[in-house]
Amino acid sequence: MLKYVFKRILYMIFVFSVMSILLFILYNGIQGDPARAEIEPMKMKLEPAQYEQLYRETRARMGLDDPLVTRYTRWLGKTIRLDFGQSIRYQRPVIDVVKPPLQFTIKINIFAVIIGLAITIPLGIFTAVKKNSIFDKSVQVFTIIGYSIPVFITALLFMYFFAVRWRLLPLNGMETPNFKGTAAELRADQIRHLILPLIVMTVTSLASITRYVRAAMMEALSMDYIKTARAKGLKEKAVIFSHAWRNALLPVITLIIGWIMSIFSGAFIIESMFNLNGMGKLYIDSLYAKDFNVVLAVQLFYVLIALIGNLLVDLSYGVVDPRVRVNE
Amino acid sequence: MDDKKVLFRIRDLKKYFPLKKRNPFQRETYNVRANENINLDIYEGETLGIVGESGCGKSTLGRTILQLYKPTSGTVEYFGDPANSHKPVPLHQLSVDQLRKYRRDMQLIFQDPYSSLNPRMTVGQILTEGLKAHNMLDKDPKKNQEYILSVMEQCGLAPYFIHRYPHQFSGGQRQRIGIARSVALNPKFIVADEPVSALDVSIQSQIINLLLDLKRDHGLTYMFISHDLSVIKYISDRVGVMYLGVVVELAVTEDLYAFPLHPYTEALLSAIPTTDADHKREIRTLEGDIPSPINPPSGCKFHTRCKYATEICKEVEPELVELRPQHFVACHHPLVDRKHALF
Repeated sequence: MLKYVFKRILYMIFVFSVMSILLFILYNGIQGDPARAEIEPMKMKLEPAQYEQLYRETRARMGLDDPLVTRYTRWLGKTIRLDFGQSIRYQRPVIDVVKPPLQFTIKINIFAVIIGLAITIPLGIFTAVKKNSIFDKSVQVFTIIGYSIPVFITALLFMYFFAVRWRLLPLNGMETPNFKGTAAELRADQIRHLILPLIVMTVTSLASITRYVRAAMMEALSMDYIKTARAKGLKEKAVIFSHAWRNALLPVITLIIGWIMSIFSGAFIIESMFNLNGMGKLYIDSLYAKDFNVVLAVQLFYVLIALIGNLLVDLSYGVVDPRVRVNE
Repeated sequence: MDDKKVLFRIRDLKKYFPLKKRNPFQRETYNVRANENINLDIYEGETLGIVGESGCGKSTLGRTILQLYKPTSGTVEYFGDPANSHKPVPLHQLSVDQLRKYRRDMQLIFQDPYSSLNPRMTVGQILTEGLKAHNMLDKDPKKNQEYILSVMEQCGLAPYFIHRYPHQFSGGQRQRIGIARSVALNPKFIVADEPVSALDVSIQSQIINLLLDLKRDHGLTYMFISHDLSVIKYISDRVGVMYLGVVVELAVTEDLYAFPLHPYTEALLSAIPTTDADHKREIRTLEGDIPSPINPPSGCKFHTRCKYATEICKEVEPELVELRPQHFVACHHPLVDRKHALF
């Protein structure tokens, strides 16, 4: 097991370096000159010759004229020490720019995942057990509808009813602007702002996972060993949970871990519509602003998350399914 | 046969599986008539073989007797409950929860040893779970372990198998696990639903001998379902022949194989390959396919393929009658009045 994890980590390091080379070359090939961007404001104040001189000095200071390999190793060395350079847009270190949206995205998504799983798993199991009942059929109809409606429509509907029509919840933003009150009141205000996006996030993820759990459960319930378990005289609860559900868990776990990994990438559409400072929004906004240091850092982070996610999926197979031996 | 005690009495047992309506305007629902009017007594300590083509309702019959399928109508009475002083227990009327008590007495061995064992459980867990459900576990875990190991040994499983998972075994070994699982509960009656048809011929005989040994040691009663006539002949005391959900002939094994009375049985028996070159015998092939159990033929269900069929066969359904001692047949033109040209 340890040997396997070690092997996988080596493999992850290899993939990560290949990806970093590719990304580095890609972002270096993009038009734009960071040196010129930095001294641009001084263009009017200086003589052309002086400006030219300053430009050359800045380029040399930034090391832009070195060969690609030298630049890459220098960049990699800094990156490993978590120094991603400066954000052009905010004129602050990238790491400080990325931190708050990352924290926010993780926080809201952990809630979304917990609420989502608490609804979808029991619902999926129940509809599979009561297959073709009226309840099951109506759930099927709702999940198909939920599946087919795009996120932004769902978001708009919820905004219209909860924020505009009934005025129960704030429309968007992270907190009320110029909020005056105690720290506890501010906290409550922030939480009120989170409720609506959280609902939309959960609702949009309900449909697919419910259907997935139902399908996996139905397959497990149709197996002969379920009849064996019933013939043994087990209670129906034991048949459903310890026999069927344990076997249905394997395909479901792949999906769930993939879903949990998406916690970190954020949801651009929802974040934009609710004007939330999350990872998805930061990523797209930085792309538009050509703030490539931020983009590169976020992208490397995504690569890392994807690699860790894959490792977790494989390891969890070994835990859930005795037939999978991960040490080979 | 009067000295034999009846263990199960099955009367007019029907099991229909309703088909989905093809459109919402369809008035009547169609049924797959898997079992129709089955009348059967199962005696204590016997092996009752059930034979028939695929889809004739053999497995359904076994599972309906065990109440794994709820019968559409008819009665299944169980006489093996000592707490009830062997008075008939109407299994068909019991709820799922009431039935759980009797599950211990009647077990099922499946045809497919691959899908009938939970892949997430070790052999030890598979064997213990049933005991746990029926409060048969001792407080002392050592004694439990000993009991499990003794059952495994009886079924030809090595002790070190106890912590292994089903996928680590071959088909024959898996079937032994399935058998050990049902025997561990110390049942009275086992429905063996084609337990050997998924196995190699060499393994088949091992499993059949294992079943016979267990029967001798534990005084079991078997209902042995198979489509293999030679297996049935070897293991059964009595044989029931099924066709399209109906028992067409029921007799003591030797009697049935020597003097088949139903044309269908005759055709089945003539299809057994033989190595006897001196006594050439006629093979009576059956024409046509087995009719649909959704819309079975009127009268005698076999009349579409029977060469002796006459008008009456199309209209009147024959009753199962005792033509010779302990030899029942449901046919308007049984083969008694013809010469037994077959054997």
